[in-house]
Amino acid sequence: MGLEQGSDGGDGGKPAEGRRTAKMGIAFDLGVRLGVSVVIGLGGGLLLDSWLDTSPIFTLIGMVLGIGAAMYTIWDVAHDAMRK
Amino acid sequence: MIHVEIAGETLFTIAGFAVTNSMVGAVLAALLLLLGAWYVTSRSALIPSRMQSLLELPVEWMAGIVEGSTSRWRSYVGLVIALFLMILVANWLGLLPGVGTIGIYHEVDGHEVLTPLVRPAGADLNFTLGLAIITFVVFVWWGVRVNGPVGYLKELVGEPRYMAPLMFPIHLISELSRLVSLSMRLFGNVFAGEVLIATMLALTTATLFVIPLAFFVPAIFLGLELLFGAVQAMVFALLTMTYITMAIAEHGGENAADEDAHGHLDTEPDSHPAASPA
Repeated sequence: MGLEQGSDGGDGGKPAEGRRTAKMGIAFDLGVRLGVSVVIGLGGGLLLDSWLDTSPIFTLIGMVLGIGAAMYTIWDVAHDAMRK
Repeated sequence: MIHVEIAGETLFTIAGFAVTNSMVGAVLAALLLLLGAWYVTSRSALIPSRMQSLLELPVEWMAGIVEGSTSRWRSYVGLVIALFLMILVANWLGLLPGVGTIGIYHEVDGHEVLTPLVRPAGADLNFTLGLAIITFVVFVWWGVRVNGPVGYLKELVGEPRYMAPLMFPIHLISELSRLVSLSMRLFGNVFAGEVLIATMLALTTATLFVIPLAFFVPAIFLGLELLFGAVQAMVFALLTMTYITMAIAEHGGENAADEDAHGHLDTEPDSHPAASPA
């Protein structure tokens, strides 16, 4: 089986194939993570506001942080792809 | 009437612990995998039979993909394959006759509603979130292992240090988004598939339509669900591999691993000369 006979990732076409597949995985994930980042930021802000009764301060901060996290995710993925 | 519950429905309780139909689905999937593993290991031959080849095919295929990711692939290949097989079997289990259609009738708001005895595990957020938490813990653990606890925290804080109040929550949200996106994607796809098939069955078995339609239209969607089930299992497993690969490869972790690897793992005590008795 491949488990016993495989290389250690240091030769041939398998590493390149694995990295290509990993990049495909990131592409699958990127779109969802953008939306989820904003939702987490916004949801966290709303929860904090309802808990501390400070509406809408934390909602706005959470939204900005969520959008920031979404932008950071794009930058992180692009940076990682450029490095390789 | 089309009735699809978002949450898993409780069948019975054991000492206050609710057993839901999606838990039954997960246990059945695990039992099927155990049965397959027992069959392969008890009758394995150097020249495999057709059945052995068939059962080994997904394992070899996924191992081939993981093999090229990093030099430490042997440390996490088991997890990636286990996640792939578990999700695949759990998803395909939902397409079998009787799953979602055999159950107990009870009355809700004057309507007779069926509580299925078995429900596909992926159609319950608890199952997908559980798998995502396992993945999350593993890739964070790899990040801590490669960078050290302080190094990992420094990563979260970011550079330059005076930007920490802004960058720390952004990094935290970005990390958490992986957990949420993994669990919600799988749940959303499997649950949407369940709703789609239930809707198609309800529409085509209505008196308005002719009988052949009741066979062919759901069959098309069942075929599509077969494909989506495999794709979703592959996506979840690939993303797990990607996250672990990123945790290892970032900051030269992979280079460090290359120096001591060449087939050896530092998770295997025997691979270290210091670990062997003098």
